[in-house]
Amino acid sequence: MAESDHKARQEMLDMWRIYRTTKEMCRDRGYNVLPEECSISFDDFARKFGTESGAIARGQMNFSAIPSEDMVRKYTPPATPKVPNPEAAIGTLWVEFNADENIGMKNLREFIHHLLNGSYYSGIMIVVKPLSGMAMRGIRGASALNGGNGPKGGIEVFLEQDLKINITKHELVPTHLLLSTEEKAQLLKRYRLKETQLPRIQVTDPVAKYYGLRRGQVVKIIRKSETAGRYASYRWAI
Amino acid sequence: MPPKSILKKTPAAASTQTAVAVAANAPPPPRAVNQRHLNTAVHHARIYEQRKQVEADILDAVFELLDFPTSPDADPTRPSPSDAHRFRQAIVPFQPSDYDGLIEERNIADKCGYTLCPRPKGKAPSTARKQFVETSKGVQIVDRKRLEMWCSDDCARRALFVKVQLNEEPAWLRQGDYGTEIDLMVKNTEEHHEALPLRLKKTAAPAPKDTEEEDAAAAWAARDDALADLAIERGETPGRLSKVNKDLITDKIKERVVKFPPTPPSLPPQSSGQSHMAIEGHVPKSARDAEQAKDSDDEDDKQDWDKALPG
Ligand SMILES: [Zn+2]
Repeated sequence: MAESDHKARQEMLDMWRIYRTTKEMCRDRGYNVLPEECSISFDDFARKFGTESGAIARGQMNFSAIPSEDMVRKYTPPATPKVPNPEAAIGTLWVEFNADENIGMKNLREFIHHLLNGSYYSGIMIVVKPLSGMAMRGIRGASALNGGNGPKGGIEVFLEQDLKINITKHELVPTHLLLSTEEKAQLLKRYRLKETQLPRIQVTDPVAKYYGLRRGQVVKIIRKSETAGRYASYRWAI
Repeated sequence: MPPKSILKKTPAAASTQTAVAVAANAPPPPRAVNQRHLNTAVHHARIYEQRKQVEADILDAVFELLDFPTSPDADPTRPSPSDAHRFRQAIVPFQPSDYDGLIEERNIADKCGYTLCPRPKGKAPSTARKQFVETSKGVQIVDRKRLEMWCSDDCARRALFVKVQLNEEPAWLRQGDYGTEIDLMVKNTEEHHEALPLRLKKTAAPAPKDTEEEDAAAAWAARDDALADLAIERGETPGRLSKVNKDLITDKIKERVVKFPPTPPSLPPQSSGQSHMAIEGHVPKSARDAEQAKDSDDEDDKQDWDKALPG
């Protein structure tokens, strides 16, 4: 009995950390997240998402997030004569905590249906164990699924394990700032560069994953240097 | 004296060195467009597009086949013609590994791995990784995972029969049509022969998604038309590119356009005089020429039945 209590409490602690990292991640990407959501205390968390027996109810932790105005601006391509009012390539996000240990195409299909029925732009699945190989393929090409009518912004998957700590809070991880399409164009113009000439960052890189970088985006990386003060560099996501 | 470069100096490099020094930051000058490179790029872009489409088709097929068979009391040995037909059709682009994926997905959904079986997957007697199983050959040791893939050995056999027929080559690299028809092990063969076409119908090409794709398609069509005209001018058979144009074998990824139904090969009606020249039914050209010269009519070569086949 005491053994299982201890296990339940450990799991509750883990989920509390994971929940806070997830909220911080959404905030850092530019979604509207309240400060108290990122700093929720363990007791509040356990009260809100625990069952009477002290177990965690993951389904209760699911949430949606709306992009801030600034985020919408960053994700809106510049107007052109052909497209005078371009649509922002971002929208409401759905985040789901899935307790299932065996997640395959069936769960993915349900997730996609939920995204489409709720008109969500993109989704994040936080899972206990890695998805089946087929489901991972489905995630990679999610927007092409459902006969080309999948969620526009795609689906991302995180293992609970990877969100127990927030890697961007590590002192060696410098600040990453996403450039808007316009800022990117200005940067390339100022330095007379082609994007292919920039150093690169893979979208599968843990920090890139944290920020949800997409192929073609450029991030500004600001390091603190003992000799040069602050030092900025740029990376092109591939 | 500046350090001497160890790199070989080419005349071009020497002449442009000053220019490079001035505008080190400038983007590299646009290279002259090489038609061959352009063709290669277009070729690869098309393969990439096809690959994306095939990937999506396979995933959508897995979504669909997860729920098969459509009736909960279906019999895997006597599937309904419509289920069997859809299964055979949906699985054509699959590689064997994709098929393994489908089985795994059905198992995750607690179903027997064989697509046309409605029963739940088997349950091993214990949770041990290796299991002892009584078989006709005595007790054998089997992986638990294998034991829990199928509801029965019969389904395992039927599923394997499908797998061995699958094309190992990715569907986007297969020539012409996606591939060959997949056969099933069924007991109600007659029903299926009545209901199923001998060859699976080619799925219609997906409608172009936007104007850019339409433009590209139009450009390709125009190119094909031009090539066909040129071929006629040269006295070649349209649809067959001459060797000169063949540096990129674009005709291999062209959609098949069936102009008239293929007819089986048949011997020319008056071939009695040639039968001794036939090699496995085929009469060599020299023998035919001789025969035709004798007949002295200049109608079309009757042996040329293969022009009805994809080029
Ligand atoms: Zn079965």
